[in-house]
Amino acid sequence: MFEAALGRKKPLVDREILILGALLMLMPVVLPYKTLAAEILIYALGAVAFNILLGFTGLLSFGHGALFGAGAYTTGLVLIHLGLHPLMALVCACAMGAVVALVIGLLSIRKVGIYFVMLTLALNQLAFFLVYQWKGLTGGDDGLLSVPRPDFAIFPGMKLPIQTNLQFFLFAWFVFILAILLIRRVLNSSFGRVLVAIKENPDRALAVGYNVRHYKLTAFVISGFFTGLAGGLYAMFMRMVPITAVELFTSSDFIIMSLLGGLKSLYGPIVGAVIIKITSEALSQIWARWLLVLGATFILCVLYMRGGVCGLAQSFFEKRKHAEPSK
Amino acid sequence: MILRTEKLTKKFDALTAVSSVDLRVAEGAIHAIIGPNGAGKTTLFNMLTGEIAVSAGEIYFKEKKITGFKPNQIARTGIGRSFQQNKLFQNLSVLENVRLAAHAHSEGHFNLLRHFLYYTKPAEEAWQILEELDITHIAARKAGELSHGQQRLLEVAIALAADPVLLLLDEPTSGMSPDESLRMIRLLKKIGDRLSMVLIEHNMNLVMSISASITVLQQGAVIATGSPSEIQSDEVVRRAYLGEYSR
Repeated sequence: MFEAALGRKKPLVDREILILGALLMLMPVVLPYKTLAAEILIYALGAVAFNILLGFTGLLSFGHGALFGAGAYTTGLVLIHLGLHPLMALVCACAMGAVVALVIGLLSIRKVGIYFVMLTLALNQLAFFLVYQWKGLTGGDDGLLSVPRPDFAIFPGMKLPIQTNLQFFLFAWFVFILAILLIRRVLNSSFGRVLVAIKENPDRALAVGYNVRHYKLTAFVISGFFTGLAGGLYAMFMRMVPITAVELFTSSDFIIMSLLGGLKSLYGPIVGAVIIKITSEALSQIWARWLLVLGATFILCVLYMRGGVCGLAQSFFEKRKHAEPSK
Repeated sequence: MILRTEKLTKKFDALTAVSSVDLRVAEGAIHAIIGPNGAGKTTLFNMLTGEIAVSAGEIYFKEKKITGFKPNQIARTGIGRSFQQNKLFQNLSVLENVRLAAHAHSEGHFNLLRHFLYYTKPAEEAWQILEELDITHIAARKAGELSHGQQRLLEVAIALAADPVLLLLDEPTSGMSPDESLRMIRLLKKIGDRLSMVLIEHNMNLVMSISASITVLQQGAVIATGSPSEIQSDEVVRRAYLGEYSR
């Protein structure tokens, strides 16, 4: 009984990850554009990173546009001015995402509830105006143009090209799967389990001895690290960094994707990103006011589908499982 | 003395909720704090556990000053507490609730890569506590799905899992049926054999049967301190709070 109540450990790579990888690998074949497949991966990574805070720590941040933008601009700048190896450029994006997250986190996690939300929103707006005003560095309203996407050497004499859309998709897929493995490891760790406890009841977590503020800040930094990585991929994907990368809308995109897919699951935001990006692409070609449909879907999801698509699927399978023995 | 306060005071603007309280809790003893609603009992507890800041006065635990410590620091010194209103990890199982509390005191809990399930010692400790409280049969159930009585037991289990030497229990039998209360009384007597305890309670049967000493609060101030028999025969306490029970 004790062993049964303990739960089972998952290996680093298991059936879940293999199925996810295989399904995502099919996207360039199934979708009309290969660029859409890469874009989905980038936003899915951003949404999963965002959900470390909302789904697993209980913190609703509107500051993730700033973290995504920090990663994107950092990658763009180091590729333009320093000609760094693309992997090094992504490492810089992660580092900058983590540093900006540390600053936003230090300023905001002292507050809870609506005050926390408003602080992250205000800091995102501050980041936007900083980028907008600092034209010499960021290109201001025009964005950061002509970001190179160089091929890179894995071993001396062996170069990996990432110029075509398919090549870049494969590169993004590899980075995405690696990031998901790492995020899953963190969420299943001792640290990740304490985050869930903090989400469930921060007062109790504090009373039993956890330094809740320390945990929340670290979660913010980890989330920033991976959001920065998504931003870095975005800069390489677009070969430029539009100022919209740092906008509040980027934050709200991650929120909508996470809510639609399901907050309680690591894979929920990925499902949300796939649905949102494909639906947006399809609807935008047939109706100019397609955002109305997206808005209505979001409202319905919040009102009637609190667990998102993954929650709905889970309850469907659980009901079927319970119904089976009675047949 | 395992716990001692000196002129502990809490003011909320013009209202003095707790006024110059000198509390003395002997090591290994069960000390009860009683008083009418609004007497400042929970406010006193909240100051002792760092939930709210002290306006004036000092708190000493094992003769070490802990005034101004944060709740997590106080928990680490060896003071555990239960809450008047259940504060549980509602969507986690009973075992996980207790296990997470035990885990807070294990080495290296702030580890980003080591799988939670590799920490078997907190799990074993949690299971032992569930066995002691005779609630292993609900180990896999979510805390939010339990009855009120079971949730009160889980409150105590979580407080015990933090491995305290002093346990602060805020109305452990509130909302319980007479049978459940009796079970809790038996349990607290058993725990009281190995731990020091401070208890806020309105159930006078419980207070008088297990306490070695009692402090009576009224309007934030101490009006009496003594053994159960001394408190029962104290005229001021009888008029202010005990009434019929003292006869």
